[in-house]
Amino acid sequence: MSDDLPSPFPGQSDKVVQVEKLSKKYKDTLAVNGISFSLSKGEVFAFLGPNGAGKTTTVEILECLRAPTGGQAKVLDYDVSKRSDQGEIRKRIGVLPQDFNAIDRLTVRENIDYFGAMFDHQLDADQLIELVDLKDKRDAQFKTLSGGLKQRVGLAVALVNDPALVFLDEPTTGLDPRARRDVWYVIERLKKQGKTVFLTTHYMDEAEYLADTVSIIDHGQIIASGTPDQLIDTHGGKKTLIIRDAGEEGLKQLPVGLPKAELRNAGDIAIPLNNGELTSILMSLGQTPLHDKEIEVRRPTLDDVFLNLAGRRVSEEGN
Amino acid sequence: MRSRIITIISGHFKSWYRSKSNIFWTIAFPLLLIVLFGAIFGSGSTKFDLYLQNQDLSGNVPTPLSQGYVNVLNQTGAFNLHMVAAEQPDPLTFVKNDAQLHNRGQRLLVVPLGFNATVASGKNATIQLFMDQSDQASASLRGIVNSATVSFSAKIAKVPDNLIVQPVGIVTRNIRYIDFFIPGVIGMTLLTTGVFGAVNTNGRYRELKIIKKLATTPLSKIEWILGMVGYQMILATISLVVILFFGYAIFGVTATIDIYTVGLVVAAALLFPGIGMVLANFVKEAESADAAANAITFPMMFLAGTFWPRETLPDIMKLIANFMPLTYVNDGLRAALIYAQPAQALTNMIIALGLAAFFIVLGSLLMNWKEE
Repeated sequence: MSDDLPSPFPGQSDKVVQVEKLSKKYKDTLAVNGISFSLSKGEVFAFLGPNGAGKTTTVEILECLRAPTGGQAKVLDYDVSKRSDQGEIRKRIGVLPQDFNAIDRLTVRENIDYFGAMFDHQLDADQLIELVDLKDKRDAQFKTLSGGLKQRVGLAVALVNDPALVFLDEPTTGLDPRARRDVWYVIERLKKQGKTVFLTTHYMDEAEYLADTVSIIDHGQIIASGTPDQLIDTHGGKKTLIIRDAGEEGLKQLPVGLPKAELRNAGDIAIPLNNGELTSILMSLGQTPLHDKEIEVRRPTLDDVFLNLAGRRVSEEGN
Repeated sequence: MRSRIITIISGHFKSWYRSKSNIFWTIAFPLLLIVLFGAIFGSGSTKFDLYLQNQDLSGNVPTPLSQGYVNVLNQTGAFNLHMVAAEQPDPLTFVKNDAQLHNRGQRLLVVPLGFNATVASGKNATIQLFMDQSDQASASLRGIVNSATVSFSAKIAKVPDNLIVQPVGIVTRNIRYIDFFIPGVIGMTLLTTGVFGAVNTNGRYRELKIIKKLATTPLSKIEWILGMVGYQMILATISLVVILFFGYAIFGVTATIDIYTVGLVVAAALLFPGIGMVLANFVKEAESADAAANAITFPMMFLAGTFWPRETLPDIMKLIANFMPLTYVNDGLRAALIYAQPAQALTNMIIALGLAAFFIVLGSLLMNWKEE
């Protein structure tokens, strides 16, 4: 933070990241529009939003890769806009850039040592290899690895300086479900070790599964923040009762007086639930031909939160 | 800082020697070229620059026979004749300076005073041909001058045996085409590894987000550049040693490695990656990198006298060649390694180092380390 300006973060020095009215403009595009948020030590924070929402721009400002156009940001109590502070920040953060690939013809271990040598202090490469579960691939060249394994090398590289804060920018984009789970597993291990993680993602399930707190960003503005449960409770809407494979015939068989039911693509019937209604609806369904159908109660997700707040869903590709 | 630079050098070097195509283009390809060119172009026909001083004037006009002789030389089509004034008291020094200025071979033919009278009276006349014996064209040139002289004597003066061309050596070493070619191949290899190395590495590392990742570490841009230059110096040294050894083993080329050679290799290891870095700034995708590097290196390779002497080029191309950085590396390496001309090696080394400083600073300034 600039010395001649009053601190916008009074009494918040325990925060690992403090962002206040941050903005970034590219020519005519306002990529980040006056956002504010903070991140505490030991927290896994998810910055959630579709492609082009301003996630990566924000993260790259915090990583000192881009200069903000307005507002202020501090990382580990150092001001990202001060040149003298930027060196201190770089020593203390670990970064996995979006779409990162390590050096093709170096082995896993050599890559970890290569990036580790950029810091004054580095963790033992073998320890990191164990952490990301790549012992079998220790001496394999990076180019021979699958996408999921490559991303685990990226995680090891991001941790090589034992950082106080780890930025993971879209760490599972483009991975198959199993590889995504493997990456989640590594992030969970980091969480257990007490690492502070700043995660950007467009996968709602990823944020919900991994994050302690979430900020949802769209069109450069934060539209909601909180724990996943808080966001779902506040913005997710009602729980839904799902009757599997009931079809149009099932719609006709529903008891009279139920809340508005709708038929979904797979032939499932969805009935929005108000508090306290579940038991009575189940009892009334028991007296119809639908009683032998598979029935489940679906809790709203962050997908629903985003739909309710932004008026659209985010696709698998992040658009 | 030191360990970071060494790590970068070591990373580049490991990536280099683990790639078969890298080894091929850096080592095998130049050796292949040496074998091919050495076998095919042992000798060849070219148009040679030749300075000519006709001292045999009559009232400021060349005498008929001396002018006739000059015409015969011109009609061979083998020479670009550059006339030296008859009153020039020290034609050799004049030629030396002028040839260096215009990048021509140092060759002077002197038609002596009294040539017309001597030939007409049937007495022996001597024409002096001063040549730099280190000039790879000297043997061919002397042969053509001799033939033209005999032809002139027989058909015009009718005294075939009375005209003698007296060759005068300026430098004593005999230079073959392969001697000329080897320094050119070294220059070409330094050019291609330097430009392609910098363009490809920066283009690919940018695309793979490796540069972005490095920019989030304490590594500075200057350390990255020093690492790349250090790696290029190692490659340049390997190329130099391998090519010279091969040239010696197969063709018996003997070269002198001196301080100028070292200076020129250092200059080339800075200059060509510097050009590559400037170029990389305009190439955003790895796929475009090869095309961009080819567009720069190919014309330079051919115009800068890598394969043939530049004097065989049309005048406009010769002029363009003067703006090619490789020209100075090639000329400097030839002067240092083969011709043993320290003054020329020094001049070229200084020019190459100046260009290297310019391009490496420009490349560093243009290189986008952080924001894109």
